[in-house]
Amino acid sequence: MLLTRLRERRVVVVGGKGGVGKTTISSALALACAREGRRVLLVSSDPAHSLGHLWGREIGDGGALLHPGLHAVEIDPRATTQRHLQAVATTLRRLMPEHLQDQIEPHLEMVRNAPGSHESAVLDRLAEVVLEESREVDLVVLDTAPTGHTTRLLALPQTMSLWSQALLTRRERSGRFGDAARRLGHARGRDSRQRDEELMEILARRTHRLRALGERLTDPAHAMFVAVTVAEPLAVQETRALAEQLHADRIPLGALVVNRRAPADSGPFLLRAHRREEASLAELRATLPDVPRVEVPLLPLREEAIDMLGDIGDLLAGSPARRPGGC
Amino acid sequence: MTLDAVRATLRRLNESLTQAYAQPYRATMARAEREEEDLFRLLVAGEVLGVPNPASYECAELLPLILEDLHDWHLRMGQERSPMDHLRCC
Repeated sequence: MLLTRLRERRVVVVGGKGGVGKTTISSALALACAREGRRVLLVSSDPAHSLGHLWGREIGDGGALLHPGLHAVEIDPRATTQRHLQAVATTLRRLMPEHLQDQIEPHLEMVRNAPGSHESAVLDRLAEVVLEESREVDLVVLDTAPTGHTTRLLALPQTMSLWSQALLTRRERSGRFGDAARRLGHARGRDSRQRDEELMEILARRTHRLRALGERLTDPAHAMFVAVTVAEPLAVQETRALAEQLHADRIPLGALVVNRRAPADSGPFLLRAHRREEASLAELRATLPDVPRVEVPLLPLREEAIDMLGDIGDLLAGSPARRPGGC
Repeated sequence: MTLDAVRATLRRLNESLTQAYAQPYRATMARAEREEEDLFRLLVAGEVLGVPNPASYECAELLPLILEDLHDWHLRMGQERSPMDHLRCC
């Protein structure tokens, strides 16, 4: 069962097509685990931030306590970029001649809006949350943005750490050439060793952080990927693509949640929907035969979000297989 | 000529010959170092020269450290004033 399997994990990444209920499922999982007595951190990296909407309260980048043992954070790349660039601006201001300091802002504005900055900021903040702010936590549940973003997010730490590693290597090479030149008697204008060390340190720190984040999110012993889908052709297609991408990135797909399944016993309309969904489910079974699957039926609306999440949590925890081949 | 004077002359001769011998190697090493550093600057501060940088966010924190270099660089390129639009050293 999904919740039993989660007991051995420290990180759960929840992904899937837009609108299938990733936020609901990750909230339900997080709540169920918190009710079991684990300290849970629920992190949303989706810029749309439906987490706060679902729980009916303000969460934001600073985080909020949603339930005893359940803390939530909505990653805000804009705030992260702001903090990051503010720090850079302060240093630059110290170094640049005073009459040219009004040039700093336009330059950093360019950095702020550069392609890739947004993603980098998400990654930077995610590393902070997952590696540092989760020390007191037993389980991190990561509610991601729709599929394309998620697979990219999981591949990005590696890409970016390779990049900073490459810069580090360049730096080391130039250091070696410099040393050789000086040993042969080359007089260099000023000693730049301290600055070089600072550069190397910054690069090494970033490389290390990104690598640690990548490992934390994808290590099969500690992390688990849960794909959420609905039993409709388009969603199933995207789930297949997601599974292929994960496979290519060597990230095991731990479980499949089929959300909002039409019940067979609630009138002829839903029965017809239920039957139509069978085809999509059969396709899922055929393409991903080894992935444990849980079905969450379309549930009647409850007044309080937390009650609905509790209902779903019960289904994820206890419901036995509803049909052969189920989870 | 005293023995000391002879020794001193020989030492000077030795130094000059060593210098002359090492000169081409020294120049090669210094050039290689400069080229590596130019490449590094281009990678980090590409966007000040109009080259899109895929990692501007990460590079921003390195800018203060290469600012000093940028000055030497544009002097070496024969430009008395900083050619960059925003990050100007002079």
